Amino acid sequence: MIKKVLVANRGEIAVRVMRSCRELGIVSVAVFSEADRTSMHVRYADEAYFIGNSPSNESYLVIDKIINVAKECDADAIHPGYGFLSENANFSDRCKQEGIIFIGPSSYAISTMGDKITARQTMQKAGIPLIPGTDKEISDEKKLLETVKNIGFPIMIKATAGGGGKGMRLVREEKDVISAVRAAKSEALSAFGNDAVYVEKYIDSPHHIEFQILADKHGNVVHLFERECSVQRRHQKVIEETPSPIMTKKVRQEMGEIAVRVAKAVNYDGAGTVEFIVDDDLNYYFLEMNTRLQVEHPITERVVGIDLVTEQLKIADGEILDIKQTELFQDGHAIECRIYAEDPDNNFMPNPGVIKHITEPLGLGVRHDGYVYEGYEIPIFYDPLISKLIIWGKTRKEAIDRMKRALYAYKITGIKTTIKFLERIMEIPDFVNGKYNTHFIEENKEALFSYNKGTTKMEDIAMITAYFDYVTKLEKIQPQRLSNTLGNNWKDFGRKKGVLRM
Amino acid sequence: MSLEISINKRTANIELLSRDENKIKIRVDDKTYDLDIVMVENGVYSLLMDGKSYNVELIQNQSNKKYIVNTLYNSNDVEIIDAESKYLKSRKKDEMDENTAISSPMPGKVVKILIKKGDKIKAGETVIIISAMKMESEYKVKKDRLIKDVLVKEGDIIDGNQPLVLIE
Repeated sequence: MIKKVLVANRGEIAVRVMRSCRELGIVSVAVFSEADRTSMHVRYADEAYFIGNSPSNESYLVIDKIINVAKECDADAIHPGYGFLSENANFSDRCKQEGIIFIGPSSYAISTMGDKITARQTMQKAGIPLIPGTDKEISDEKKLLETVKNIGFPIMIKATAGGGGKGMRLVREEKDVISAVRAAKSEALSAFGNDAVYVEKYIDSPHHIEFQILADKHGNVVHLFERECSVQRRHQKVIEETPSPIMTKKVRQEMGEIAVRVAKAVNYDGAGTVEFIVDDDLNYYFLEMNTRLQVEHPITERVVGIDLVTEQLKIADGEILDIKQTELFQDGHAIECRIYAEDPDNNFMPNPGVIKHITEPLGLGVRHDGYVYEGYEIPIFYDPLISKLIIWGKTRKEAIDRMKRALYAYKITGIKTTIKFLERIMEIPDFVNGKYNTHFIEENKEALFSYNKGTTKMEDIAMITAYFDYVTKLEKIQPQRLSNTLGNNWKDFGRKKGVLRM
Repeated sequence: MSLEISINKRTANIELLSRDENKIKIRVDDKTYDLDIVMVENGVYSLLMDGKSYNVELIQNQSNKKYIVNTLYNSNDVEIIDAESKYLKSRKKDEMDENTAISSPMPGKVVKILIKKGDKIKAGETVIIISAMKMESEYKVKKDRLIKDVLVKEGDIIDGNQPLVLIE
């Protein structure tokens, strides 16, 4: 029985994992770096231990330190969250050696899926549909050109160790192939310390759709339907929703079955996500598998009614999955908006700083997974994700309307956030009509960025408020001098009365 | 009291004509507004004008005369321009011309310094790389420059708008 869980993470996901622990009566343990002493996960946990300096490679990424804390505080299990050590096969192995349960899959599943070429080869053997491309690293440039001609343009060059859009190049013409490969190699080398690249056919209007799966240690696997994640900026997801507006019942069933086969092909256990690229005609190809809990997992929880972290804990404990595929269904529609500490008017420049004020949206169908509070300083060392707003509605339209209402009520001051940018997305016809693919932000750049800079009237209102604030402050500092121009006769009257009474 | 206030690129003259508690009559250039204004939370004002309700957020930006003012859909840079700020502005132009020091608008960490004191560098060359929240930004020079001094070292944590490298 798992009685105590160390959460090897920070931010909103650490808090989210601890919430489920608390419901299950499991003691939660936080670890924190120097910058995170005042962070919410430290306050929320039952126990908290210091693990080192602020940069993550001196704290959250140091396996030894985390294992030591787990052993000293007698934790039965470690939940890695997402990012940091969540997809580190060595960490999974190390936990096993130390007799601590790693809440996630085996190191075999992590390493097979973590290396894109190995993943591709494994999936090919399992008969999973793949995007046409090379299944090996390509070093001979002549051979490469031949292969590329067979695949057909456009093509995408990708780093085998890649992620987050680094080491990727899109090529539409033969003459650009060699230079693009060289550029991708050098970028991959500096970003990942590994310059291996491979080539794939590029799908022109791609949708990024992923399937959530749950697998226990006894060979039972179910899928919890899809998440549409096509609203992306520089290959980073911005908004996710489920069900996907382009999905049909038949294709959903097919893809779900394939996702289950993918998980079985690597003896997967725990919660995982199988990502697909889907074109406008609903042709789908396996992209990769994420061997962890995803940032966007709450939308699935909302429509399916299952707490994925609770399931992860039960699976890690060796329980048999008590969810039957035939009993699962999607109830209504859920959308998630990711709120980042970034300035959308300034090329999404990261914007760490002190939260002066925060008003979180409330009401029917609103879930808010965050970790910041008034007076909290968002450190410069970690991811700029502040929170996730997860909205549920009976229909997609209701969910969008509710999201607009919630974003409108969501106020954070002190730092710049992407809230306004998300509000604008909710107004774009392509989004409202559910007709979008991964080029959505690029194609709607005009409406999203060079929007009307406000009417004169709104500018006047902004200036009046600033004037009023400035003058009120002056008045407080120098009440005498300003009382002539801005005097409040009732206050003066009151003061005089007070003096007379004495 | 009448004040010059700039918003984004526009400048207007604003004067409070009368005030009774929250109710004010105020002139912006040649337009006069009657409204009810009250600070409802720290930094958040509620305005009622012609029966409409507006929420405006003020975020102080570097000095007590500079604000970022957020209305429903827009974020505006607003600055109160008085004699002092006019003077500071003219002085700033002489001393701290944007081309005499390189700084980052955001706090962060110095990842790499690619030059040293006394270096002569060409337009477009990168001087310093700053990282914040897993994103790296390169700061380059727009013209050929001489490095007068380097004020930080690699690994330093820096504030927003702190001068990092002096150039000439």
